Amino acid sequence: MTTAQPPAGSIRAGAPFSRGRSAVAVRGWLSMREVQLVLVTLAIFAITTVHDSSFLSSGNISFLLADAMAVAIIAVGQTLVVLTRGIDLSVAPTMGTAALAVGFLAQNHNLTPLEGLPLAIAIGAAMGLGNGVMVALAGIPPIIATLGTLAIYSGAQGIVAHSQEVVTLPPAYFNLGNGDLVTGVPYLGLIGLAVTVMFAMMLWRTRFGRSIYAVGNNAEAARRAGINVKRVIVSCYVLCGAIAGFAGLIFLAHVGSADSTTGTDSNIQLTAIAATLIGGSTLTGGKGGVVGSYLAAIFLEVALAALVDFRINPIWEPAGVGVMILIAVLADPTTGRPSVRTVLRSLLQGHGV
Amino acid sequence: MGCEGMSATLGSSIASRNRRLSTDQWWMAALFSLLIAELLYFSIAVQGFWGGGTGMLDQSEYFLDIGIMAIGVGFVIFAGDIDLSCGAMASFVGIVMAELWKHGVEIWIAALIAVMVAALIGLIHGLIITLFRLESLLVTLASQFILGSLATAIGGGYPPYGFPGSFSSIAGTGNVGPIPAQLFIFAALGFVALLLVHRTAFGRSLVLLGHNREAARYAGVNVSWTRIRAFVLSGLFAGIAGIVIAATYNSVRDDLGDSLLLPAITAVVLGGVDIFGGRGHMAGVLLATFVLGFLYQGLLIEGISQLTANMVGGGVLVVALALKIGLEQRGGGASFSERMRLRFARGGPP
Repeated sequence: MTTAQPPAGSIRAGAPFSRGRSAVAVRGWLSMREVQLVLVTLAIFAITTVHDSSFLSSGNISFLLADAMAVAIIAVGQTLVVLTRGIDLSVAPTMGTAALAVGFLAQNHNLTPLEGLPLAIAIGAAMGLGNGVMVALAGIPPIIATLGTLAIYSGAQGIVAHSQEVVTLPPAYFNLGNGDLVTGVPYLGLIGLAVTVMFAMMLWRTRFGRSIYAVGNNAEAARRAGINVKRVIVSCYVLCGAIAGFAGLIFLAHVGSADSTTGTDSNIQLTAIAATLIGGSTLTGGKGGVVGSYLAAIFLEVALAALVDFRINPIWEPAGVGVMILIAVLADPTTGRPSVRTVLRSLLQGHGV
Repeated sequence: MGCEGMSATLGSSIASRNRRLSTDQWWMAALFSLLIAELLYFSIAVQGFWGGGTGMLDQSEYFLDIGIMAIGVGFVIFAGDIDLSCGAMASFVGIVMAELWKHGVEIWIAALIAVMVAALIGLIHGLIITLFRLESLLVTLASQFILGSLATAIGGGYPPYGFPGSFSSIAGTGNVGPIPAQLFIFAALGFVALLLVHRTAFGRSLVLLGHNREAARYAGVNVSWTRIRAFVLSGLFAGIAGIVIAATYNSVRDDLGDSLLLPAITAVVLGGVDIFGGRGHMAGVLLATFVLGFLYQGLLIEGISQLTANMVGGGVLVVALALKIGLEQRGGGASFSERMRLRFARGGPP
């Protein structure tokens, strides 16, 4: 059954002119999006370090990793939804509402991060359930349903905020959000890694994980194979929401403040979707994985920091993200769409579209 | 897909045509009663909402920009695509116009050039989407980022403001007799859109390919070119919306149009256009603009925050859609997965 195969990892057939088995293996490895992302990120590090040696300092690495984690964790949840051929635009207010709720309780009642954890996840899961019900049961297209809930949940966040802000938090949050386990390895980076590995294992090793790929590849075939498609889709939205809620706690710990527009003001949902797409998942579902999304979030963070280091005006950051989405999709040879070279050739030869 | 599949699809499409016509009319009647009900409610319950006939018309200046953008997105949604870049496009166009004007170009020429730039960007969207067979969602999402940066870069921290009076009154807040000038612009654009979608070969191709891309291809429709034209129109209308916003506020900002995207898509969907493409009527979009616009106005005058008003708007979007999908499925329309299959019949995923 092709639908339940793990993504990307396998070497594709072809490459008839390769010189030997090792060459094929290397090309196979290089065509994996995860490997590409690690290599490109390292290359950016190398180039930027030549320009400015402080870029490689453990302090900077630690900051970049911790700073990327809110997006990385949201992108992990987003990936689950994208794998089912869905999308969730409402993760920004989901994250913001969880951050606000935990933040208020921490500010006024000394709630510890560990006590805030179930609250953040529960808020996120509840919002995710709303999305899941609308998509799977009411049959509303995901993009429209979550565009609607983006507005609805933003309003909910405004109501929770009640014109107040979270500004002072117990020191435990600062330690969690900006502390290092050892030099250069921030707690947040490890937490993000743990979340990613957990969901990667779920996708690759469990029946539920495989059914997500099956639903994304061909919902009708999945249904006939005995998979409860609606339940899988609802579960993915609930998980996506829960993970976004968790990211709210991470964001709160890292940034140390929250208000009525936290999340939506920086359009974090779009950055997370960008990370998901750059990580190799496709909007047509059934292809991709959470490891790519995690790495892509770190890649985005490093690339944008490098831009700043080269004194490029930060106003170009969004444009950089947009261009990287396009490059990432066009550079994916496995989707069966025409390559840049094919398109240019057919245009030059006058065959048209 | 074999011959049987084709004829079955065609058959059901013809059979549902008669029924669908009445669905469209039924939906419009519902929208119209909703508009009346909401006007009545706000006039009675909210102090300062009812401003007499002309006062009501004047209020439309606060939301007709949404309608103009909605018409543009409507073309794209008819074809079964989506354009997420409209909001950023409107901001970008406003900035381009203002900068041209600051550098000595006559304001109307500047506006014209800026709108042409928007149409050109729409053309680029269409070309990228059709040539590389990318999802429109993805390309316009990326474009939204890029246009945002461009607008900030061109406009700088303090974009120009204070346009000539004739400009801000004709495209913005001026009146012709008791009727706001903006309403004339909207009516003219709406009329053109109605003709384009429902009275031309282009419109028929657009609706057909939104309904079933494969069938459109067999019927000799140039699918790519039709989709590209829809994106050009979307860019064009978003550009005009950008000019109207700039004139209304007599200033521009690099994110002035961004918040219009959600209401514009809401207006299209509320207007009864099928989000999968291929069904609906442009008149519904025009009507829905007023339903949604007066809803926002009523709530804002009532003293509800913008955030909460948006929340109500989002709720309207979701409820309207759930209602419509429920009705269609009960009426024997194709199910969600069936229509996804039709849409992605060719060149799509396995």
